[in-house]
Amino acid sequence: MRSLDHLFEHSSRSLARRTSRRSLLASLGQLLTGAALLPLLPVDRGGRAWASDAKSGGPETCEYWKYCAIDGFLCSCCGGTSSSCPPGTASSPITWIGTCHNPGDGRDYIVSYNDCCGKTSCGNCECNRNEREKPVYRPSRNNDLNWCMANADSNYHCTVSVILGVAEK
Amino acid sequence: MRSAPLRSAATLCLTLSVLAHAAPPPLPAEHLTVQQLPPKSPHWVYVYDEAFNNEIDARVHLFDGDSYRRLGQIDAGFTPSVNLSPDGATTVVATTYFARGSRGARTDVVEFTDNATLATSGEIVLPPKRVETAPSLFNIAYSPDGHFLYVAYVTPAASFGVLDPAHGKVLGEIDTAGCVLVIPWGPDRVSSICESGRLLTVTLDAQGHEAARALSEPFFDPDLDPVFVQGIPTTRGYAFLSFLGEVHEVDLSGARPAFAQPWSLVSPAEQGRWRPGADQVGAIHRALGRLYVPMHQGGEGTHKDGGTEIWVFEMASHRRLARWPVQAAGLSRVLAVQVSQDPAPILFAATNAADVAVFDALSGKLRHVEKHLGQTPWMMLNP
Repeated sequence: MRSLDHLFEHSSRSLARRTSRRSLLASLGQLLTGAALLPLLPVDRGGRAWASDAKSGGPETCEYWKYCAIDGFLCSCCGGTSSSCPPGTASSPITWIGTCHNPGDGRDYIVSYNDCCGKTSCGNCECNRNEREKPVYRPSRNNDLNWCMANADSNYHCTVSVILGVAEK
Repeated sequence: MRSAPLRSAATLCLTLSVLAHAAPPPLPAEHLTVQQLPPKSPHWVYVYDEAFNNEIDARVHLFDGDSYRRLGQIDAGFTPSVNLSPDGATTVVATTYFARGSRGARTDVVEFTDNATLATSGEIVLPPKRVETAPSLFNIAYSPDGHFLYVAYVTPAASFGVLDPAHGKVLGEIDTAGCVLVIPWGPDRVSSICESGRLLTVTLDAQGHEAARALSEPFFDPDLDPVFVQGIPTTRGYAFLSFLGEVHEVDLSGARPAFAQPWSLVSPAEQGRWRPGADQVGAIHRALGRLYVPMHQGGEGTHKDGGTEIWVFEMASHRRLARWPVQAAGLSRVLAVQVSQDPAPILFAATNAADVAVFDALSGKLRHVEKHLGQTPWMMLNP
């Protein structure tokens, strides 16, 4: 919770400083929306919509459809799953966002790439995919930043890919 | 019947005895010393190794492109920001340490290394805000006269710290309104790249505080064709390459940034098929006016895939001079390039397999491949 307090303190100060800067507000809004929605999101339980196919591979492979803009170690290979952090780590409250196509149901999904924090890098199943990824000047779409930055223990361990919802066309 | 074997045995014994007496004298006792660096060379390169598999243990390897030897190491902690001072005498590393190794209280610190000895020569403790991201020349940077040192912060609110390296002090922090990184120019100016495709330029006073700020017009389209943030030093500023292969030259020699008409690395037929991609996506020999870019075939989302070829361009005419396929030489994709600035230049190319290849930068002839120079060499710096 300290990290959340820390984050919202920073965010509030940023908002107060920059109320005339719409693009930054939009980015920060995206970040905070991703964080705020997390408790409400569907859980990946391997249903039809989340099923892998031969083309996209399973959650322990970099080709898995949900990983289309991930850069880091797959938590699925580190004791977690594609949407849960490994034991003993902490999830990052702030994230970057991707849009990935699920060949299992033909839909595009908005996914949140949360980092799992508090231990050193897992070192297993490195995966670097960059569909619609943008440089660090567009942070809400950037996968180079250490998104554990606002955690109490900001060390980076691995990355998950959490479905936020269906992307509207 | 037994005389022949006996004779053979006797001969063998005699031979061994003679050999024993002819053996060289034993080696003298050695004196334990610490190796001193030789005088610096334009063919040295500082190789940033993120050590991604165990990221709290990044380091910088000093490698000699003539002798093909590692000369030493600078420790760099966790996702460091690394750069050289303008005179090349100092390596500066902004990094993060955790009190219990991989966990515990976070300390951000700038560490200075004397490049003549590779010994740590000082440090400045930072607020825990520095950007932790992929390497570029703009995560930490000196002012051109070495008077100030700028450190990019992202918390994710964006700002930068102004440091006085001579007196070991943090002078202050300047909010950049969502624009990121520190591009130093003039005696006292810092530009940051904005999400709108503009540069925000802050001018400092003598105390390192903000005296003025100005926002440029957009010089690239972040939606249609973003630029890599890994700008390449030119004679008058920096060149920024775009995902599709446009070259945006930014002239920082005047009072405000001036943007040249972009030119393309690819022909109309190649556009969208061949593109630049890497962690350090270009290098320029400034006196020769040559640009080296790792290029690959691929579509959207392949901007970090690394080059299967290195393309060489003449900056003045925008003409492509050569294509050097690296896979033909047995190398994997090139993730970082750097070129020495002397008249007999060397092109260094770090690969996805963590090898560093040494090319003749004029002919493209491969001279050497240093296998596994670190774990994840993602940027190279030279004096």
